[in-house]
Amino acid sequence: MKEKVLLIIPAYNEEENILRVCKEVEEKNPKIDYVVINDGSKDNTLNVLRENNLNHINLIHNLGIGGAVQTGYKYALENDYDIAIQYDGDGQHDVQYVDTICKPIIKKEADFCIGSRYLDENTSEFKSTFMRRLGKNIISFIIKLFWHKKITDPTSGFRAGNRKVIEEFASDYPSDYPEPESTATLLKLGYKVTEKPVNMRERVAGKSFVTIGTSTLYMIKVSLAIIVDSIFRGKNKKK
Amino acid sequence: MSLTLRIALIVITLIYMFLILKSIRNKKISVSFSIFWLITGVALIICVLVPQMIEWISNKLGFATPSNMIFCITIFMAFYLIFNLTIILSKENQKSKLLVQEVSLLKKKVENLEEKINESKKS
Repeated sequence: MKEKVLLIIPAYNEEENILRVCKEVEEKNPKIDYVVINDGSKDNTLNVLRENNLNHINLIHNLGIGGAVQTGYKYALENDYDIAIQYDGDGQHDVQYVDTICKPIIKKEADFCIGSRYLDENTSEFKSTFMRRLGKNIISFIIKLFWHKKITDPTSGFRAGNRKVIEEFASDYPSDYPEPESTATLLKLGYKVTEKPVNMRERVAGKSFVTIGTSTLYMIKVSLAIIVDSIFRGKNKKK
Repeated sequence: MSLTLRIALIVITLIYMFLILKSIRNKKISVSFSIFWLITGVALIICVLVPQMIEWISNKLGFATPSNMIFCITIFMAFYLIFNLTIILSKENQKSKLLVQEVSLLKKKVENLEEKINESKKS
């Protein structure tokens, strides 16, 4: 790979995971750079990052996952990276699959590649609950309905984008639960989006973002965002 | 409306408008926001001075009683105001997000530069 690749690793209260995640990246895939975005963690994350000299940006105030990831895209833009990959700071993602999701972009087959847990059931050891599947299916259905593209894992946080996508996301990225909405935006603007099967693990330590209570609200917000976006699709077309 | 009630209402409204003007002077509220509140004050005084006008309008519009009309107008205005505030709030959110991001990126750059300078000093 001659492309400059950046892993964007958003971290909020990940003191138990972040060092292990970064070391894994350094060991298994030393050619790629990473930047940890510390999203105003209340625990010891910042100290862990400083002491171990891990490349990081410290947000001066908590922004939520969307704002944190967008900061990563801005960093990628400023430092002229060719490919930016979103990568969770909690150890769910497997760094071996970075090359897998980069491949379609390097070959210029796609602008954006999502690492999917559901594309090939055998690859993934990720255990999915009924509710999770239901939610995922509803979002997939809505995206299919409006943008005629089947996305098997719209909530995946393991995604790679090329230079054009980096520019797009650096200037505009949704804030609360951004994965499905940003995918829909890319489809709307005519970017080529593809998926590759990846393995995801269950979280090793720490607490997950999404709980049962918030997931219903999540569904409503995501659906609304995608639907509103497509109803007014003519109005905010990009240059 | 009894004379005492009228006088009381006018005094209260005048105090209300005085407070608005004072907060403009103290720069607690921008002039553009205060216009809305000043207009409500003026409208209140007019209502107190010529209550017949309110009765006439509410009759023409078909409200059962003038107070119904007053409540209706007040509620609509309150909704409009709250909606406007949520728009402003969202805009401010966008701005502060941008600021946090840019400042954090700048801090990162400064740190990197400092490191480089320190390294070159050593060597």
